Amino acid sequence: MKKRLNILYEWVNDRVHLEDLVEFLGKKYVPVHSHSVWYYFGGVSLFLFIIQVVTGILLLLYYKGSEELAFESIKFIMSKVAFGWLIRSVHSWAANLFVLAAMIHMFSVYFTKAYRKPREITWLTGMLMFFLVLGFGFSGYLLPWNELAFFATKVGTDIAGVIPVIGKPIMVFLRGGEDVTGATLSRFFGFHVAVFPGIFTVLLGIHLILVQRQGMSEPLHIERGGGSGGKTMPFFPNFLLRDLLLWLIVLNLLAILAVFFPWELGQKADAFAPAPAGIKPEWYFMFMFQTLKYIPAKLWIIDGEVFGIMLFSIAGLLWTLVPFWDAKSARGEKSRRIIYIGIFVVMYIIALTILGWLS
Amino acid sequence: MNGRYRGFLTTFVLIFLLHCSPALRAQDGCLTCHQTMEDPRAALFLKDVHKAKGFSCADCHGGNRNAEDMETAMDPDAGFRGVPSGDEITEMCSTCHSDGSAMVKTYNSILPWGQKALLEASVHNKLASNGKERIVNCATCHNAHGILPVENPASPVYPLNVTKTCGKCHSDASYMRIYNPTIAVDQVDKYRTSVHGKKNASGDRKVAECASCHGSHEIRSAKDVKSRVYPTNVPETCSSCHSNPEYMAGYGIESDQFEKYSKSVHGKALLEKNDIGAPACNDCHGNHAATPPGVASVSNVCGTCHALNADLFAQSPHKEAFDEADLPECETCHGNHEIVSASEKLLGVSDEAVCSWCHGGDPESKGYKTAASMRLLADSMDRAERRAIGLVEDAEQKGMEISDAKFKLRDARQAILQSRTMVHSFDEERFREVITAGIAVTAVAGSEANEAIDEYYFRRWGLVFATSMLILLSISLYVYIRKLEKRKETGTRNSAG
Repeated sequence: MKKRLNILYEWVNDRVHLEDLVEFLGKKYVPVHSHSVWYYFGGVSLFLFIIQVVTGILLLLYYKGSEELAFESIKFIMSKVAFGWLIRSVHSWAANLFVLAAMIHMFSVYFTKAYRKPREITWLTGMLMFFLVLGFGFSGYLLPWNELAFFATKVGTDIAGVIPVIGKPIMVFLRGGEDVTGATLSRFFGFHVAVFPGIFTVLLGIHLILVQRQGMSEPLHIERGGGSGGKTMPFFPNFLLRDLLLWLIVLNLLAILAVFFPWELGQKADAFAPAPAGIKPEWYFMFMFQTLKYIPAKLWIIDGEVFGIMLFSIAGLLWTLVPFWDAKSARGEKSRRIIYIGIFVVMYIIALTILGWLS
Repeated sequence: MNGRYRGFLTTFVLIFLLHCSPALRAQDGCLTCHQTMEDPRAALFLKDVHKAKGFSCADCHGGNRNAEDMETAMDPDAGFRGVPSGDEITEMCSTCHSDGSAMVKTYNSILPWGQKALLEASVHNKLASNGKERIVNCATCHNAHGILPVENPASPVYPLNVTKTCGKCHSDASYMRIYNPTIAVDQVDKYRTSVHGKKNASGDRKVAECASCHGSHEIRSAKDVKSRVYPTNVPETCSSCHSNPEYMAGYGIESDQFEKYSKSVHGKALLEKNDIGAPACNDCHGNHAATPPGVASVSNVCGTCHALNADLFAQSPHKEAFDEADLPECETCHGNHEIVSASEKLLGVSDEAVCSWCHGGDPESKGYKTAASMRLLADSMDRAERRAIGLVEDAEQKGMEISDAKFKLRDARQAILQSRTMVHSFDEERFREVITAGIAVTAVAGSEANEAIDEYYFRRWGLVFATSMLILLSISLYVYIRKLEKRKETGTRNSAG
C-alpha cells in the first residue's frame, strides 16, 4: 500500500514538484504558548465553512428558490429525501456554529492583538469575511420561506430602510421591491449561493495565503516578554493533525445536534397573516435588535432607530479599522485601552443577547 | 281669621296656582280659536296626553296663547314658529323628553328620556330621500296631535296597533324601495300567519309584535351586531318572553327552550363560538311567520342545512315507518332544542343508542342486526382513528416531520363525518363502504407515522454508530499525534545529547 502511494506521489511530483510544497510546509512552525488554543478557532471556522459548502450543494439538488415551492421543497428534503433531514439540520446548526467560531476567532485575534503590523490585511479580510458570514446567516434564514423567516426578514430590511438617504434604496434593492415577496426570496437565494460564496472564497484565499506567508502571530505580551522561548510545533503534520482532531469533535457535535435537535421548519410564510407574537432575530443579531428596543423613539432631533443604526455602523467601522488607530500595539507597546474596549464589547453583546432572549 | 283676610289669601293662592301650574294657567287662546274653526287637530289635541299635562299649542308652535286676535297670537316676534317639520319635530319633542329633570320634576313622568339618543343610533336615523331630514321623526309613529299613552288602545304604538303603524312604511313596496330595494315588504302579512300574529289579532297584547323583537326607538339593521335580531342575539331576544314562566303561563308551552338550546350543538356554535352559520330560533321557527314546525315539516326545516342527511333519510325505509307512526323525522332521534353533537353512541342496540328504542326488542330482527353491525363498524373506525392519532402524535413528539400523515388524519376525520351522514341511509353496505375507505386512510397515516418512529430510532442508532466511529478515529488520531510528538521529543533529546 505504502509502496503504491509512493509511486503515486512520485508520479504527481514529477509533474507539479510537490517537494517544494512539502519543504515549505516542513519549515512552517506554530508558536506554542499559553494562548495557543485560540489558533484552532480559525481552523474550526474553515472546517464549518467547508461543511456549509458541502451540505449547501447537497441541499441545492432539491431546493427550489421560489415563493410557491421553497417551503414545500424544504419539507420534501426533510421528509422524503434520504438523509435530507440530516443535511438540512447539519447545514442549519453548522451555520450557527460557524458564526460562533468566527466570532471567537475574531475576538481572540483582537485580544491577542494579532491584527497589528504586519497583519493588517489579514485582519481586514477576516472582518470582511465575518460580515459576509452574518450576510450568509441573514440571507439563508429566509430561504425556507417560513413564517418566522418572513417576518424576521421584514423587520431586518425595515431596519435597513430607516437609514437616511440611502436606507430606502438599500431596502428596495434587498427586497426587490417595496415589500418582502417572492422577489426577495430570489435575491436572497442568489446572494446566499452565488454572490456571497464567490466573494468569500476570494477573501478566504487571500486570508489563508497571508496566514501561511506571515505565519501565526504571537500575542503581544508574550512577544514583549521574549516570545515563546522558541517553543514551536511543526505546522505539518502536528498542528494540522490537532486541527483535524478538533474537526472530528465538531463533526460529532454537529451530528448530535442534528439528531437530538432537528432544525424545525415551522409554518409556511403568509404575507397576510399577522406577525407571530414575540418574534426575534437569530441570536447573533439579538444584541443589536435589543439595543434598538431600548433606544427612545426620538433622541433630540434624531430618530432613535436611525441613531442606533448609525451607532452600530460607526462601531463596526472602528472595530474593522482597529489596526490603523491602535498605534501602541503597532509599535509593540502595551495598550490597556484596547483590552477594556474589547471586554466592554464582549460583555455588552453577551448581556444584551441574554436580555433579548429573556424579554 | 276675618273675611277680609280670608278673601285676600284665597286670591293670592289662586294667582299663585295659575302662575305655577300649566294646567291652571289662563285659557288657551289657540285651542279656543282652532276649536271654533272646527280644526280636526284641535279636536285631536283635546285627547292628547300633553293637553292633560297642561301643554298648549304654543308650547310646540310658539306664539302668544293669551292674545285675543290671531295676528298677535301668531306673531313671529312673539316666538311663533309655525308648523315644525322633519327633524324639527324630534328636536321639539326632545326639549322635554331628553330632559330627565323636567320629565320627573315638572311633569311627574316616569317615561325614559333617552329616546332621542336611541333614535339617532337606529337605522331610522338615516337621511331621507329628500336629503333634508331623517327618515323617521317622533310624529311618524306617535302622531303629532292626539298623542296617547302607549297603554291606550287608540295609540298607534299600543301593542295591538304596532304592526299597522310599522306596516305603513314597511308594507309599502314603492316607499321601501327608495331605501332598501332588497328588503321584504311582506312582514306584516307573514306576521298575521304566525302564532304571534294570530294571537295579536285576537286581542292578546302580550304576544310579540314588531317592537318586541326589533325594539322601538333603538331599531337597528338586522346586520348590525348590536341589533336585537342579529343572529347571535336572537335566542336572547326570544327568551326575554319564552324563558319567563310567569309571562308564558297560559300559553301551554314550556319555558326552558333557551336553557336547552344553550346546551345544544347549535347553541354552543352560535353563542359560544359566534358562528352565525349555526341556527338561531328563527332559522327553524321562522321570524315574522314564527310557527313551530310540525311533524311533517321538521325534516324540511333541518334539511335546509343538513340536506344530505335529509335526502338519505327520505330514501331510507325509515321514512315510511316514521310517517306511519306519525313520528317527526329528525326530532325523534336527535331531539329539538337540546340537540347534542352526534356520536357513535346514538347508533347500535345498547341502552343509550336511539336505534334500540324501536329495534332493541328482537335480536333476530333485521333492524337489530343492522344497528348492531353498523355500530361495530363505527367503533372500528373510531379505534382505527385513535390508533393513527396516537402514532402520529408519538412521531410528532419525537420531532419527526409528519405533516403528510397529519393531513391524512383530516381525511380520516372527514370519513367519520361522512359515515355519520351515511347512517341516515340505514343501509349497512353503503355505511361499510365509507367506513372501509376511512379505515384505509387511517392505516396509511398510521403506517407513515410508524415509519417515522422507525426512522427516529434509526437516527438514534445511526448517531451511536457514527459517534463510536468518530471517537475511535479521534482516539487513534490522538494516539498518533502523541506518538509523533514523543518521537520528535526523543529525536530532539538525542540530537541535543
